Amino acid sequence: MKIRTGDISTHVQYLPATRREGAQGEPPVVVFVHGLLTDSLASYYFTLGPAFAAQGIDVIMYDLRGHGRSDRPETGYQVEYFVDDLVALLDALGEKRRVHVVGNSFGGTVAAGAAAWYPDRIATLTLIEAEPPVQRWTEHMQQGLALAKEQLVHDAVIEWIKENRGAQTARLSRVAARILNSTTMGDEVWSGRVIDDDLSAITCPVLAIFGEESGLVEQVPLFESALERCRTVVLPEQGHSVLVEKTKETRDLLLEWIREHDLAAQGADGHELAEALR
Amino acid sequence: MTTDATGVAAAQPQVRADAGAVLADIAGMLRELLEEYGLDEAEIGRETTFHDDLELESIDLVSLSGSLRERYGDRVNFAEFVADLELDEIIALTVGQLVDFVVESLRSTEAG
Repeated sequence: MKIRTGDISTHVQYLPATRREGAQGEPPVVVFVHGLLTDSLASYYFTLGPAFAAQGIDVIMYDLRGHGRSDRPETGYQVEYFVDDLVALLDALGEKRRVHVVGNSFGGTVAAGAAAWYPDRIATLTLIEAEPPVQRWTEHMQQGLALAKEQLVHDAVIEWIKENRGAQTARLSRVAARILNSTTMGDEVWSGRVIDDDLSAITCPVLAIFGEESGLVEQVPLFESALERCRTVVLPEQGHSVLVEKTKETRDLLLEWIREHDLAAQGADGHELAEALR
Repeated sequence: MTTDATGVAAAQPQVRADAGAVLADIAGMLRELLEEYGLDEAEIGRETTFHDDLELESIDLVSLSGSLRERYGDRVNFAEFVADLELDEIIALTVGQLVDFVVESLRSTEAG
């Protein structure tokens, strides 16, 4: 379905939790945020989404602005626009619960922005091969996007991708080139709001999953020293495509994480209730 | 939140649980999708693959789930269907496989 979020309409897929026997109270809710340019909510729909609903978790998947079947305005792609869309989406869905937000790659940057700027809405943050919106990230992004914009317009490059990475990736690369050439996304994504390098803006529990062979794994020491409640997992012999290539491992880690924090939250509610009744 | 399945089912009472009728249904949904890309000449049969033959993106398959819901309501759970498939199986998915799943779902809800 399509939902109005601010000035655009956003494509959402909502999978309600399968009610499980013996389950008490409201189910937890997870929001999955996909990556930039070659990505859409389909990456979750065909990996984690249905499995999480079957495990008793409400699942919200949506296409970021400019992607999939959401609107693609010409401008308006600083990271805070993506974060505001996420919160507008929760409002439009009438979501009162704190959400477990999960972001893959750039989706993790958006998720981290939401955790930093809307802490009341977020129960936990999971980053899959992602970097929060810090100054360094803006530099990585600016370089990467400039290169993509320059390279992906060439048929020879697309042909090389087809030969070496398969027809599907080549097709998605063509979509990416179309987005970059019809919007200001490439110049804007990295040029918006940032959080301090010390990650002090992120206060909720954080699960961070990396591939050992990805450059992003260098953040592990910072995460572990800077974030008070953080669990980092490094998957051996794995690059950036964790979600697609290590779906099962990611699913198990994340289900355990949500279950653990949902129980803790219910315990805390119970405690508050007991206090209030005294 | 979601399409009112009973309302839609009432408006479209002619759902038939045989493979030929379901193939015609799904081919119609696919033509609508393909029209958005300016492709209306595609031949669609049981052996047609979504990715290689029709060049659909995976997000188009998600859209197809919406069309299936409008047509069949809660009787056909596409999310459940894809949950059992690996990514490479989804990429190799044929129209016939989806038709068989829909027919099976319709028959089992009829029986129940």
